[in-house]
Amino acid sequence: MSRHRSPILFVIALLIAAACSSATPTGGGTGAPQASGAAGTLVYYADVSDLISLDPAVAYEFSGVLLVHNAYETLVRFEGSDLSTIKAGLATSWEPKDAGSTWDITFKLKSGVKFTSGNPLTADDVVYSLQRVIKLNKSPAFLFTDIAGLKPESIKATDGSTVVVSMPKTSSPQGFLSILTFTVGGIVDSKEVKSHETSGDSGSGWLLDHSAGSGPYVIDHWTKNAEVLLKANPNYGGTKPPLSGVLVKHVPESTNQQFALEKGDADVARNLGPQQISAVQGKQGIATTQGNSLLLVYVGMNATVKPLDNVNVREALRTAIDYDGIIKELLKGNAKKVQNIVPAGLAGYNDATPFQADVNKAKSLLQQAGQTSVNLELLVPTGQAPGGVAWADLAAKLQADWAKIGVTVTIKQTAQADLLTSYRAQKGQLVMILWGPDFPDPDANVGPFTDYAAKSIAYRNGWDDKTIAQKGRDAALITDTSKRAAAYKDITEYVLHNGPYAILYQPTELFGLRSNVKGFAWNPMGWLDFAAITK
Amino acid sequence: MRFLAFLIRRLIGIAAVMIGVSVITFAISHVIPADPAVAALGDHATDEQIAAFRAEYKLDRPLPEQYLTYVNDLLHGDLGRSIRTRRSVADDLADSFPATFELSFTALLVSIVVGIPAGIWSAISRGRLPDVVVRVLALAGGSIPVFWLGLIVIGLGYYQLGWFPGGGRIDAFVAPPPLRTGLYVVDSLVAGDVEALRSSLIHLVLPALTLGYFSTAVITRMTRSSMLEVLGQDYMRTAEAKGLRERTVVLRHGLRNALIPTVTIIGLTFGSLLSGAVLTETIFSWPGLGRYATASAVSLDFPAVLGVTLLAAVVYPVANLVVDVAYYWLDPRIQRG
Repeated sequence: MSRHRSPILFVIALLIAAACSSATPTGGGTGAPQASGAAGTLVYYADVSDLISLDPAVAYEFSGVLLVHNAYETLVRFEGSDLSTIKAGLATSWEPKDAGSTWDITFKLKSGVKFTSGNPLTADDVVYSLQRVIKLNKSPAFLFTDIAGLKPESIKATDGSTVVVSMPKTSSPQGFLSILTFTVGGIVDSKEVKSHETSGDSGSGWLLDHSAGSGPYVIDHWTKNAEVLLKANPNYGGTKPPLSGVLVKHVPESTNQQFALEKGDADVARNLGPQQISAVQGKQGIATTQGNSLLLVYVGMNATVKPLDNVNVREALRTAIDYDGIIKELLKGNAKKVQNIVPAGLAGYNDATPFQADVNKAKSLLQQAGQTSVNLELLVPTGQAPGGVAWADLAAKLQADWAKIGVTVTIKQTAQADLLTSYRAQKGQLVMILWGPDFPDPDANVGPFTDYAAKSIAYRNGWDDKTIAQKGRDAALITDTSKRAAAYKDITEYVLHNGPYAILYQPTELFGLRSNVKGFAWNPMGWLDFAAITK
Repeated sequence: MRFLAFLIRRLIGIAAVMIGVSVITFAISHVIPADPAVAALGDHATDEQIAAFRAEYKLDRPLPEQYLTYVNDLLHGDLGRSIRTRRSVADDLADSFPATFELSFTALLVSIVVGIPAGIWSAISRGRLPDVVVRVLALAGGSIPVFWLGLIVIGLGYYQLGWFPGGGRIDAFVAPPPLRTGLYVVDSLVAGDVEALRSSLIHLVLPALTLGYFSTAVITRMTRSSMLEVLGQDYMRTAEAKGLRERTVVLRHGLRNALIPTVTIIGLTFGSLLSGAVLTETIFSWPGLGRYATASAVSLDFPAVLGVTLLAAVVYPVANLVVDVAYYWLDPRIQRG
């Protein structure tokens, strides 16, 4: 036995020695005033298990989008948390023109922009970047190909600083500009990327965990399942970011995020639930903040199922729900009361909220429909709904609200993938789920919610209203913003009372911050400008 | 020669287990009602995208054909591509398995180093205070949920005392050693990187203690009971009657015989540590196999689930094989037998 003992003892000795050396930043001293490690680095704790790639043509998950947004610049952009006014990015002008059979958008590029490599940003880089998205055909590519109707040849450079994009007349120029503000519109350094191409992958193998952009930060490294480090881009043309680095640490357990925030090891904790937020509120050195999201939590009512085919039954179900109770009690105020299909924050948002637990009115609506007792099944996902409440608790609340008007609901809880499989096949009766727009434009919600032929949400709920679908398609193409807003108001008002949906709430996002962190502004599209943050 | 034949028999057994496991896992992951394409592409995907996805992963083919394609790829060393991470499953496993192995191995080491002496001590002081203390601790180890224990350990070791880091394998501002084995401790030793070694060791302490508590309890109890049995044997009384020191009697004559059942338990425990690390990995942000397996299962990532299952199907029999080899060394009767 003695032969085998020594290496074991050696390891134990090392373990003990290491444990006793309470030195250096790792352990984090008690009550450290700011996050450990490099002083100029923002330490951001989050569950980033959804991270797949940091390539702007591939990333379409929340974590990927957050990181890519900070490493690349886009032709046009939204500023701060506003999502209705397009501002200049790499392009200084972008007027859509009616070119007969197409919409042509001419982008004039800002001069003197350099990539991290030092290469100048030219029209060729823009054409390469946008065509690359179509060629790679990964998750976000449908925004270019299906929504904007682009083909590789639709994107052309007319000179070194001018790019023209030609779109079919059936696509919305305004919608496309909104898409371009998203990470999929990030412009890559074509020379750099081409030099890393292997077997025709357009450099996506390399861009998976490197960056070649002109944004304020550069991807320093990504250790899978552990962390991503961003470092300030020395060639960035805009205002130099105050923090020289951003460390995004993958910490899936939210209690752990809470501990690290309280100890000062984390500057930002991304995934604190409402209870943890109230636990840290008022503690010294900690601040909490909210951010808007564009998600809507809703119940779809399958109009092919009796008696949900009757518009009065659907209106009765909407009318009976205690929306305020859901938001105040279940979500602890962590949501906005929204009852229309376009979320607050997007152009076309309609702030009308006519429904609130009116039992008498709901009962009379049921009577008008000739219904006395209604039995329905409610499909509900497992786990947590956005805003920090269990789906099951939301379902129980609805069940209780509807019971008051004589509607008996059986709750069936399944994994989300299971639920979606049934829902997509029009096999649900009542289905509770969430929706987030693919791009920051009202069309990203109005299309799916109204157009049966698009085979999205309207289809899943068997709601085939050709008039409203056409109105939706027309509104998407309007270029005059005030006329467009009026068209959307008309559409949302109609869907509010006639559609097969009960929109329950729009969740807000909660963040725990060290109180020395300033300039934190969450964009509802799921990103944040790290370059605006100081600590 | 006999040993070689025994080894070959066991290796054939492992292959048979793998075939069985792959058939069952494949069947289960393909007959569940949810569609992996919907799970992967989500709410927004069009029917065309779903059809393209099904074609890409050959989900549109008959099940036996899918299985044969999978096995064919497997025999060519290709475990397929993960739906969730879009990377090759082999690469994903190569990334996450060493992390889990390092954690489990450390936990096992802790269990052996603590469990066996505790078991012996408990046995020789049967009915007295040390025995009671050890038994209570062992009972607790067997019944405390890992998730709860992990939160307590992290709350104390990190949040209250600040002696240990709150999670991860290495400090964010310490570069990991150049990876050879994927085991940070070994790799930093090889590279002679003291800072990386210190950081990876200190990161191991809390998760290894958390994960190792249950197995320590199991090993303690097994050592105690087999030691008690051995202590009552005639040869022990003979050894004592010869006038040997108690220490020699217990360790030389007693322990070696008492260890045989303990070794069996250690082998089985190691297998369960590897697969049971899920909760510990989640609490301690440990980028290991357990978390990979959970995330894959939740997103119906069947190539990844199959990969993890097959890996487990190899690890268990290999752990048992190591145990059997240990028997050879512990019990001369087996060598002769």
